[in-house]
Amino acid sequence: MLLRTILRRLAVGVVQLLGLTVAVFFLIRLMPADPVSRFVGINPSKAAYAQAAKAIGVDRPISTQLLHYLGLAPSQGKGLLQGNLGTSWVSNAPVLKDIATALPVTLELITMAFIIALIIAVPIGMLAALRPGGKTDKAVFVYGLFAGSQPEFWWALLFVFVFYFKLGIAPPPLGLINPMNSPPPPRTGFYTIDSLLAGDLTTFFDLLHHLMLPVATLVFILSGPIIKMVRQNMEQALTADFVLYARAAGMPGSTVARYALRAAMAPSMTLIGILYGFMLGGAVLVESVFSLPGIGQYAVRSILAFDYPAIQGVVLVITAISLVVYLLLDLLHAIIDPRLAQE
Amino acid sequence: MSESLAVADHIEPAGADWLFRIGGAIVALVLFLAAFGPTLAPYNPTLTTPEVSSPPPALADLPRLILTAIVSKNTAPVHWFGTDASGLDIFSRVISAPRIDLTIALVANGLSLLLGISIGLLCGYFRNLGTEIIMRVSDVLQSFPVFISAMILVALGGRSIGNIVIALAALYTPIYIRLTRAEVMGQKVRGYVEAARAIGNGEAMIAIKHVLPNSLTPALIQSSVTVGFAILLTAGLSFVGAGVQPPTPEWGLMISTGANQIVLGEWWPSVFPGIAISITVFGFAVLGNALERRYAAG
Repeated sequence: MLLRTILRRLAVGVVQLLGLTVAVFFLIRLMPADPVSRFVGINPSKAAYAQAAKAIGVDRPISTQLLHYLGLAPSQGKGLLQGNLGTSWVSNAPVLKDIATALPVTLELITMAFIIALIIAVPIGMLAALRPGGKTDKAVFVYGLFAGSQPEFWWALLFVFVFYFKLGIAPPPLGLINPMNSPPPPRTGFYTIDSLLAGDLTTFFDLLHHLMLPVATLVFILSGPIIKMVRQNMEQALTADFVLYARAAGMPGSTVARYALRAAMAPSMTLIGILYGFMLGGAVLVESVFSLPGIGQYAVRSILAFDYPAIQGVVLVITAISLVVYLLLDLLHAIIDPRLAQE
Repeated sequence: MSESLAVADHIEPAGADWLFRIGGAIVALVLFLAAFGPTLAPYNPTLTTPEVSSPPPALADLPRLILTAIVSKNTAPVHWFGTDASGLDIFSRVISAPRIDLTIALVANGLSLLLGISIGLLCGYFRNLGTEIIMRVSDVLQSFPVFISAMILVALGGRSIGNIVIALAALYTPIYIRLTRAEVMGQKVRGYVEAARAIGNGEAMIAIKHVLPNSLTPALIQSSVTVGFAILLTAGLSFVGAGVQPPTPEWGLMISTGANQIVLGEWWPSVFPGIAISITVFGFAVLGNALERRYAAG
């Protein structure tokens, strides 16, 4: 039963991704931007322009370009169906390879931020829910609203000013590791894991040092919606009949709180998943402040350079990951709340 | 759901809800600046002054400077927030920016509200294959990564205010479609719809004249939050270089221009516009939340 649900969801997901790919393909080509102009100098001759257009393949009819991209035109070369996302017009490297280098940086950053944000925000949200309308509850509520509506790039800059310029405890916002250190030998692509696998603790701590401020910025921003959600779901769970019953039966407060937390976590998982998917692209501003070579930075660079294959690849990969995360969370949801698996 | 929330959030009467008042006051101030900011600005927000990168006056000097500013009319106006690396007066730019930021946010929100409510009404009231397809398309649109989509639309469409508005409107429309559709589906089974039908009204008439006015509230409440986020998104776009063009007085652009100086210790070009965004978006979020609680309480 569960397997069938998973398969159906995956099938729907593939259709959605295909639709999205075609939509993005046409959308960026409908725009008035002229990608060829980025590859020729100012005031190019007709011949030079035509040559540049030929080099990046935009001289072909748009239907041929689409079929090539999707991998349905074997004469043109490999495409999406063969697992090829095309070649970046700027770096001339396969888009898939570029993304495979950039993605782990972002995943590392936001996963760390999520774990810390959850560790901090869940207890705070619960604490507020225990006494609705109390002073703690009101303070937590206002903090949640505030943190959830802040310009993260500005806070990132503020952190840089205070912790790097004033206090000197953070490194300059210039990437993941000290430029004097060499990156760990790539195995998984995740710098932290690779440095540990290589047994290189110096690089590992250097990484943590560089990730300190970007992670802190994201934790601050993420704590807003997470606190708000935990508080709301917990308050609802605490007014539920089973909690009343547990209290009436004389269960200790900690046991009741554990029951309520379990009931409150189920709906919270969905929102955490949506937030995670959102942060994949939403971390771009923080990456940009700290010059982290993540997927967001790659997207900005590709978009500003009119690098169409790279843009398509980024949108496709981010959406695909979001869909997988939603699916995993729904499964987790079904495990936490068995009623859902029955339906 | 609404009942337990109403209890949990302890709705106070309109006047006593201090959050509502704070949110309302901030929004009113920003609206005021959008109308009169550029007129009140002591310097032209887009013209450079000879003083480059001059810091804001020290706190201790403020009383004396304010006094001089009031008493003598002949001296050049003080750079209250300092000047940036090209010599633009930061105070003038910070108070002129709401006209740009708020216009973008309000127009984009208005457009998506109009579109979203119309499509939402259509899809909620008339359930058929056509409206089903519209909903699926809207779902796909909503699964786009928001910030990256906005960057694509603005960077490839051309960095103009009009394109930012269109990009934001396109991204926010699906939210309003979903909200309105859900509300319409709840409303159309109510007794008054049956009554309107019984006295001989046509379906289109019932949908527009009776169901629509009763289904607007969720979308209107969401507006306050959306306007706040639209301001954040506009600023973010400028920050990565896919927003308005310099020297437009826009908060995100100002933060971006000051970003290179902040590692050298020149904090004022970025800090003041950042405070402005921070307070503004918080104001819209608080107001939206207060309205939402009041609606949930009935």
